[in-house]
Amino acid sequence: MSLLRQQGSTATAPPSAVPARGLRTPVTGRRPGGLSARTRHKGMGLLLVSPFLLLFLAFLVAPLCYAFWLSLRTSTLVGGDHFSWFANYQQTFTDPQFLSGVRRVVVFGVVQIPLMLGLALLGALIIDEVTSRLAKVFRMTLFMPYAVPAVIGALMWGFLYSPTFGPVNSISHSLGLGKVDLLSHALMLTSLGNIVTWQWTGYNMIVLYAALQGLPREVYEAAKLDGAGQLQTALRIKIPMISSAMVLALMFTIIGTLQFFTEPRVLEHSASSVITPDYTPNLYAYNLAFQYSEFNYSAAISFSLGAVVFIGSYFFLFATRKRSGLK
Amino acid sequence: MSSTRRPTSRSVRRTAVAATSAALAGVLLAACGSGGGSGSGTTGSGPVHIKVWAWYPQFKQVVAEFNRTHKDVQVDWVQAGVGQDEYTKLKTALKAGQGAPDVVMLEFQELPTIQLTKGLLDMGKYGANADKGNYVSWAWSQASDGDHVYAIPVDGGPMAMMYRADLFKKYNLKVPTTWAEYKEEAAKLHKADPSAYMTDFGSDETAAGWRQGLAWQAGSRPYTYSASKLPDIGVKLNDDNAKKVYEYWGDLVKNKLVDTASYATTDFYNGLSTGKYATYIAAGWGPGYLSSVAAKTSGKWRVAPLPQWTAGAGAQGDWGGSSFSVTSQTKHPKEATEVARELFGTSQAAWKIGIDQAYLFPLSNPILNGAYFKSKKYDFFGGQQINSVFVPAANGISTFDWSPFQDYAYNTDTSEVGKALQGQNAWSSVNDNVQQQVTSYASKQGFKVSK
Repeated sequence: MSLLRQQGSTATAPPSAVPARGLRTPVTGRRPGGLSARTRHKGMGLLLVSPFLLLFLAFLVAPLCYAFWLSLRTSTLVGGDHFSWFANYQQTFTDPQFLSGVRRVVVFGVVQIPLMLGLALLGALIIDEVTSRLAKVFRMTLFMPYAVPAVIGALMWGFLYSPTFGPVNSISHSLGLGKVDLLSHALMLTSLGNIVTWQWTGYNMIVLYAALQGLPREVYEAAKLDGAGQLQTALRIKIPMISSAMVLALMFTIIGTLQFFTEPRVLEHSASSVITPDYTPNLYAYNLAFQYSEFNYSAAISFSLGAVVFIGSYFFLFATRKRSGLK
Repeated sequence: MSSTRRPTSRSVRRTAVAATSAALAGVLLAACGSGGGSGSGTTGSGPVHIKVWAWYPQFKQVVAEFNRTHKDVQVDWVQAGVGQDEYTKLKTALKAGQGAPDVVMLEFQELPTIQLTKGLLDMGKYGANADKGNYVSWAWSQASDGDHVYAIPVDGGPMAMMYRADLFKKYNLKVPTTWAEYKEEAAKLHKADPSAYMTDFGSDETAAGWRQGLAWQAGSRPYTYSASKLPDIGVKLNDDNAKKVYEYWGDLVKNKLVDTASYATTDFYNGLSTGKYATYIAAGWGPGYLSSVAAKTSGKWRVAPLPQWTAGAGAQGDWGGSSFSVTSQTKHPKEATEVARELFGTSQAAWKIGIDQAYLFPLSNPILNGAYFKSKKYDFFGGQQINSVFVPAANGISTFDWSPFQDYAYNTDTSEVGKALQGQNAWSSVNDNVQQQVTSYASKQGFKVSK
């Protein structure tokens, strides 16, 4: 209660009262039971962050703690539940299903991420250079897929990939190339990669474009005076100068790729013999918990995946610390 | 760059964030407050409200009929998703200790799984054993374990073959009575029209029950399980009968005599309605399904008994079907049991809705063998009395146990079939691989597995 009253008085104090309050400080400081200005500030800060803090604790920290506690127990269908320390984690890193999922998303990322970020960079450089109205339209068009919810996007692509209705198939058929099953085992990763690239290129392009827009224009002038062409300006000046934004975009993309879930989950319905329950680590964790009722092992898988993501990001940031300016 | 940002705009934004999150917290707390109760229960002296999860839309009329004929118990219906979606919610609610309905619609193959997590009430304690004689025996044996009753059967899925009479006539095909004939006719059809297939091989997860039903017909009994004999379980997924079925279909797939689109996809519906598929091997609920997804082919279909492995053997299998269970979270076990028993039970009025509108295949003996159901003519099948095929099929089904890890078994089967389909593994290895994975899973889960 006293805290609230204290805040009330602080809040009503006009900003101009600051010097006066400073003068009074020795007096109030000696008042028995009173709070110093510093403590009062702290209390105020705590109150202001408390809505966030409450939600953060209730919906992130508490579930995480509960999941971690779950992951340290083993529960079998017969025989009940017991504390098993890190046995689930031991199982995780020798589980061929988990490891094959990790391998799959890594292979996926190695091909898809450079491709997508390359496209995004190219797009950003172009719209940074061209300032006509067309550039605005181009920017909007490329950005639009990001505004489509991932589930809707995946559903739509699933329809386009359909062997009977999909235009891809009818085009290849009319060109005499025969039937292309884009939902087959061989082409599934490519098809998924296409969806992800479609969805996220525009977003990354905007991030890079924003960074390009923040660069000081004088540098370009200097480059021009030194005889650099547009290509050289792009390669030697623009790209190095936005490398920190690129590192950031790359980082988010890597994290997103390791947690790959939505698109395979949606396409699972049209190709469930290809997209198996362990197709990606996240999908595996989901199926373990909600189909096989293996909540404990699922929690361990989730934490292990979290650890892989964390360690991966840490090393990535460490390796690129010079470029990203995060020394 | 950050030096150019004005501090005022930053603090304004922070205030906005704080205000938004405070508002959000309020909303969430309010949501928690109103959603805290399980929704069922009495207030004062009014009737007991029982919350039921079921998924077909026509259930609305069944509920209305129940509420009209009952005074002290009223049903509140919730559509909580179809099949797997509902089970996911149920399992989560059971794990959480709250949020499950009083009565839930469950397919037979799911019963042991939910029962094992102690999620189901033993209705035997509330008089459900009295219903035993009302239901076909294989269904009752799947819903109960001795005197413990975990579910009240509702509808079943005796398998039969639906075929396009017009296409059979056009290509001069004979209605097959054995699987060997089925293959011959398939070859004949595909030769006459390379874009047509005898049927679609169910390779996906939603068709796992279809594959199991066909193996059931062939005599495969993969599980020996009873909840009262835990932790013992018998698992034999790779006996000769099961292998025979998988190799047969693998052969049809390899020779491109059947299509391999996933069931319940637009490609599959398209195949059923355009004449791409000449037959549809389906279950007792299939006529309703077919007439809704392939409405424009009305009048062209007929129903024939499932082809046999041995001519004239009359072996049958089941695919799907559902029951009503009472969850262990109910606060009104007596009333919930009453709801499970009497929603359909032997009520003529409820079953009339079930048969005419929801195309349910009754497992209730008086209804199943009653004159109305047996003699009903279906316009979609050119006026054929299709139940003269389905009723003997239902009565010819022999007992079958499900495992308490059926989702795992189905998923494993689907993965292995997928590998065979993609040419990564031989069709002959599917059953052995599934057996190996399922038994190792069962052992890890603490079962004493006999193979």
